[in-house]
Amino acid sequence: MIKIQNLSKVFRTEEVETKALNEISLEVKQGEFVTIMGASGCGKSTLLNIVGLLDDVSSGSYKLLGQEIKGLKESEKSKIRKQNIGFVFQNFNLIDELSVYDNIELPLIYNNVGASERKKKVEAMAERLAISHRLRHFPQQLSGGQQQRVAVARALINDPKIILADEPTGNLDSKNGNEVMELLTDLHANGATILMVTHSDYDASFSQKTIFMKDGIILSEKLNSRNVNVLA
Amino acid sequence: MLTNWLKIFLYQIKKNKFFTILNILGLSIAIAGLIFSILYWNDEQSYNSWNPEKENVFQVVNNQPRSGFLAYNVMPLGARLKQISPEVEEYCHFNPGYNGALIEYKGKTELVKKILRSEGNFFSFFPFQFVKGNIKTALKEKNNVAISEETAQRIFGNEDPMGELIKVGEKNCVVGGVYRITGKSSVEPTAVLREEYEEEIKRNADNWGSHTSFLVVKLKDPSAKEAVEKQIYQIYIDKQAKGNAKAKGISVEAFLKNYGVDIPYLEQLKTARLHSKVSNGYPEGNGNYQFLLIMLGLSILILVLSIVNYVNLATANAIRRAKEVGVRKIIGATKAQIVRQFLFETVIITVFSILFALVIVELLLPYYNEFLSKNMAMHSGQFYLQLFLVFVITVVFAGIFPALYIANFDVLKVLKGNFSRSKKGTWLRNGMLIFQFAIASFFIVGSYIVHQQVNFMMDKDLGFNGSQVLDINLNEIRKEDTYEMIHNELLKIKGVKEVSSGNFSFGSGGYFTTVFDYKGKDVEIENMSMQFGMLDMMQIKIAEGRNLSPAYASDTISSVLINRATAEMMGEKDPIGKEFRFEDEGDNPGIRILKIVGIVEDFNTYGPQRKIPPILIYHMKTISESNFLSRMYIKIAPENMEETIAAIERFWTAKVDTKYPFSYDFVDKNFARTYEGYISQRNLFSLLNLVVILIALFGLFALASYSIQSRMKEIAIRKTLGADTKTLLSTLSRQYVVFCIIGFLIALFPVYYLLNGWLENFAYRIDISLLPFVIGFFLLMLLTLTVVISRAYQATRIHVLKYLKYE
Repeated sequence: MIKIQNLSKVFRTEEVETKALNEISLEVKQGEFVTIMGASGCGKSTLLNIVGLLDDVSSGSYKLLGQEIKGLKESEKSKIRKQNIGFVFQNFNLIDELSVYDNIELPLIYNNVGASERKKKVEAMAERLAISHRLRHFPQQLSGGQQQRVAVARALINDPKIILADEPTGNLDSKNGNEVMELLTDLHANGATILMVTHSDYDASFSQKTIFMKDGIILSEKLNSRNVNVLA
Repeated sequence: MLTNWLKIFLYQIKKNKFFTILNILGLSIAIAGLIFSILYWNDEQSYNSWNPEKENVFQVVNNQPRSGFLAYNVMPLGARLKQISPEVEEYCHFNPGYNGALIEYKGKTELVKKILRSEGNFFSFFPFQFVKGNIKTALKEKNNVAISEETAQRIFGNEDPMGELIKVGEKNCVVGGVYRITGKSSVEPTAVLREEYEEEIKRNADNWGSHTSFLVVKLKDPSAKEAVEKQIYQIYIDKQAKGNAKAKGISVEAFLKNYGVDIPYLEQLKTARLHSKVSNGYPEGNGNYQFLLIMLGLSILILVLSIVNYVNLATANAIRRAKEVGVRKIIGATKAQIVRQFLFETVIITVFSILFALVIVELLLPYYNEFLSKNMAMHSGQFYLQLFLVFVITVVFAGIFPALYIANFDVLKVLKGNFSRSKKGTWLRNGMLIFQFAIASFFIVGSYIVHQQVNFMMDKDLGFNGSQVLDINLNEIRKEDTYEMIHNELLKIKGVKEVSSGNFSFGSGGYFTTVFDYKGKDVEIENMSMQFGMLDMMQIKIAEGRNLSPAYASDTISSVLINRATAEMMGEKDPIGKEFRFEDEGDNPGIRILKIVGIVEDFNTYGPQRKIPPILIYHMKTISESNFLSRMYIKIAPENMEETIAAIERFWTAKVDTKYPFSYDFVDKNFARTYEGYISQRNLFSLLNLVVILIALFGLFALASYSIQSRMKEIAIRKTLGADTKTLLSTLSRQYVVFCIIGFLIALFPVYYLLNGWLENFAYRIDISLLPFVIGFFLLMLLTLTVVISRAYQATRIHVLKYLKYE
């Protein structure tokens, strides 16, 4: 699903040249749940941004669903992004001026889904994530956990092929954080492909595979053997 | 999609109520101003546009030596030109200006104004639409009269006027046609008569000296204009220069060199209203093109100012909306979609502004019409097309830039959260702020200079005192010998202090000019004939010599007064006692030897903006051409004025003029009308000045608010480190002071250049001094500091923790 080979990313300012990613190779298969860990500045967020088509590649190759991304135009990337990728952010990034319903609906609008179908889909998704009773509320009126659930709902509404989560529990207390992680695990159990960046070993333990990064390179990979069902 | 956009838009409006309202208000006022200008523009441009002959009809105007361009022509010119010129299809002489007359039908009389006396082919130059009869037959017979629909309605009611006999003044006429004037026209008569004028042309068939008629010619091909001008010039050489040279005993070449001859110029009807070389070349007058341009220019400037405000606020506000845009982009919005979303918002704002502007215009239009003496309304497809254009232009200029700016936000930076302090776009906002300061400076300084000039004009010593003096303009001129009776009877009325008469008006000067020769020099003067006591009543001062007086027998025969301008034109240091030959072209023609007995101080006759012309003053009896009564001047006591005037009216309508209703004017009020246009310009400029300053200050206020908002963290850190209020204030205000100075400097040259141009309108003008600039600068600086410091002061009152805790 995601195939990265010898990928580098260089940030240049007038005086300094920083290699954020240095010749990285990585593969994520369909249905995998992969975590990236590492200290601040190790390049994990940069990697996630590149995977999410938000950032450009300096050199190397990145194939998403078999298509080479490097060299695509902004509008083409935008199209691939809206059809295939769902984002979940640490700070939720909900639009404060829109209600929960409108927030979840937004990706459908940009994908030209008809009004009646949008309504059906949003309501079904809200039910699935247990936020039906919050649809008329505005993001600021919700708890952090609820907000993140709205964000997940919005990420999923388009049936994306892959979900990218950037420290999804970073702004949440442990109870709410747990809820969100369980949600992601559920999604994975139902066949979703997830790539997550986190600081938390605990969160990482929910995934199948953890990748450790440092100074722009991948240090090691580890397979997790946690049986979620048993602990739940 | 639209509902989603609308939701966000409404949310933003709710959140920024104050700024949104001010934004719409600013745009509305600016658009309303532009609508006013457009209406004015359309009205002026519509003159003669209906006329299918507008390209081919030309008015003959002449650049006369000494007087400049005038529309008056000698009466034999048309016929002579037609004889020699194959390019001229037709010509038509008509009377300069309208006359009023009583029209009598079956014993009933109506006073009808704006009657035109003309040659019979008038309607082939101004082909009005005929509702009865037609263009060819309307003035077919010599005694025919063509009347307008309104006149027909007044005189005949619902009867058919065709072929009916009516009496216009003293003439019996037969109605030959009824016309309707469908568009604005340079000539809009209520009735057109031919017989009288054609007889007058006949009488003057050999008079190549008196310029008394307007003349229009129709060319077969408009491009022959220059050729025809040359032909006319040749006629002047043949008919005027040659004879005059002979009379002076010099060669034609020497005459042309020393005295000159009229230089003809053909003025196309199409451009006559706004681009004429003469003032009042047609009875409906000229449009004030300069004022039209000023109006249009200033209203566009105000719109630009409002659009700049809008753009500034939109881009400043965009930073607050960066997250929304970032999220939209991540979710899949394309750049085009973001641009469209923000354009959509601009469209809504603009639609509201235009609607509100239309309300403003609708409410103020009556006052505006009064101000311009017009009757304009918001209709016609042209107007709505222009309005749509204003809409599109506003949306494009106000909307495109912020939309592109926002759509180009870098998603990654936005979502990382450190975008709000980005420097992006600030240079542009600051640039626009400087631009606004420049416009505001322009208005403040300009407005002050306009004030100075108008006040200078109003305070200027006019050389006469017209207060409490009634000016009664006779409807029909009378013989001079009835003066004694009227004079004596009027003096018997209680409250009447002085009575005199003069054939000139304070406001439009003398009735005709004459050229006489003085020591080989042509001296062109305005004739002012009068009765004794006139100068004393008007408090016109005698500078040298003596006033005219009934004590001297010669004062009704040969004694004259001149003003200083005449003495200057004569080039005579000591004119008292000097004599000159003066040609009387009146009922008793001949050469008179006139003797100067006194010099009067210059006094204004045309309005304080016009140069005082050379004037010759004499008793009515002295020159037969000027020996008639046309105006009575009556000075009355300030007490019981109403009774006095009522008594004058009773006497007047019983003994002097039994036909026409009594009407009068005060000399000072009549004179004030000559410069009321400039007072209006001053008031308009002051009003616009206020609007501009308010809009600019609002822009500054909004921008300062946003800019300080984005520096809150900085302020908090500074405060934590121990900065006191004073240092903070100066840190926050410094840049605005710099912008203010730069803006002011930019405005310096345009304001000096343009206002100097405006001042050229005035014969007596102020010089632009340093004062308006100094006052303008300090005023602008004061207003700027007030706005900025009030915002900055609020910012220094913040709770530090609130901003440091963030992030």
